[in-house]
Amino acid sequence: MDIPPTIPTSFVPRSTFASTRRTFTTNFTDVFSIFAYAVLGVVFALALGVFFYGRILAGAQASKDAELAKAEKAIDLATVQGFMQLRDRLTAGQKMLGSHLALSNFFKLVETLLPTNVRVSNLHLTLDTTKRVRLEGAGVAKSFNALAAVSNSFAADGRIKEAIFSNIVVNRDSSVSFALSATLDPKVVAFSP
Amino acid sequence: MNSRILPTLALIVSVGIFFAYVQPTWSGSIYAAKASIASNDRALAAAKTYTLQQNQLAAARNAIDPTDLAQLARLLPSSVDNVGLILDLNALAARSGLTLSNIDVITNTIAPAKSGGVGVTLSAATGPTGSAELSLSAVGTYAALQSFLVGVEKSERLLDVKDLLVRGSDTGVYDYRMKLSFYWLR
Repeated sequence: MDIPPTIPTSFVPRSTFASTRRTFTTNFTDVFSIFAYAVLGVVFALALGVFFYGRILAGAQASKDAELAKAEKAIDLATVQGFMQLRDRLTAGQKMLGSHLALSNFFKLVETLLPTNVRVSNLHLTLDTTKRVRLEGAGVAKSFNALAAVSNSFAADGRIKEAIFSNIVVNRDSSVSFALSATLDPKVVAFSP
Repeated sequence: MNSRILPTLALIVSVGIFFAYVQPTWSGSIYAAKASIASNDRALAAAKTYTLQQNQLAAARNAIDPTDLAQLARLLPSSVDNVGLILDLNALAARSGLTLSNIDVITNTIAPAKSGGVGVTLSAATGPTGSAELSLSAVGTYAALQSFLVGVEKSERLLDVKDLLVRGSDTGVYDYRMKLSFYWLR
C-alpha cells in the first residue's frame, strides 16, 4: 500500500532557505553586539584613563611650578650682576694692563742714549692707530759729530726704531739744528709693575 | 531589529566619547601639561646648574683678598667720575711739582647718557668698558714731569698717556701738553 503524498515520510523538518537566513542574521547580530560593547568598553576605559592621567599630570605640573618658583626666588639678580661685573673687571683689567703705556720708560732711555751736547727742544709722542708710539721732535746738537753720535747710539740700541734726522741745518756757531722722527719699540713703553 | 539598536547606539556613543573627549583631551590639555612639565624639568635642571655654579663662583670670589677686589674696583670703576679723576690728577701734579694750567675732558663727541651730562670722547659703545680722553697742560721741570708720569702710570685708576708734547725752554722749565685715556666699567 502506497503512502499518500500528503503524509510526511519523516518527523525531522526539512531545512529550508528561510531558516538558514534566520540563523545567519542571529549570529551576525551577536557578533556585532559583542564588538559594539567591546568598543564601548575600551573607549570608556580610555576616557577614564585619560581623565585620571590628566589629573595626575595637573598635580605634577602644579608641584613642578611651585618648585620652579622657589628656585627662581632663590636667584638673586644683584648677585648675578655682581659676578658679571667682577668677570668683566677681571678680563678687561687684565687686557688693559697688558697694553698699559709707560712713557716714563722712554725718558729714562733717552737719558742714557742722548749725550749732554745734544738738546731736544720739542718732543711729541703719540700713539698711532696701529698702537705704536711715534716720536716727532726737534733739537740742537753742539756739532755734527754729536748728532752722528746720537744717530749711532739710536741704531746700536735698536729700541728707538726708524729714527730719521731731517731739516739738518748747521748754524753760525757750528751747532746743528735737526728734526727727528722715529717709532718706539713697544717694549720700551710697556708697563711693568 | 531591536537587538541591533543597542549595539549601534553603543558604537555611536563610543565614537562620540572618543572624538569628543579622549582625543581632544590627549592632544590638548594632556599634551600641553606634558610639554609644560618637560619645560619645567629643563628649567629646574638649569636652576640646579646655576646654584652649583653660583656656589663655585662665590667660593672663588671669597678666595680673593677683599683689598685686591677694592683695588680692582678702583682700577676700573663703575662710573665715569671724571671730576674725581681731575681732582686726583691735580693733587698728583702738586705732589710732583708740576703746575697744571688747564685740565679738561675732551668734548669733541657727544657722550651717551651714562656719562652723567659731561661730554667726553668715548670709544665705540661696545664691550663692557667705556673710555674717554682728558687733556691737560702743565708747566714744570723735567724731573717734575717724570715724577708726574710715573704717578700717572702707577695710578690706582688705569690711565694711559696717549699723546705728550714737550716744549723746551732755556730756563729748565718746560711746557707740557698731554692727552690721557681713562676707563670705566659700563
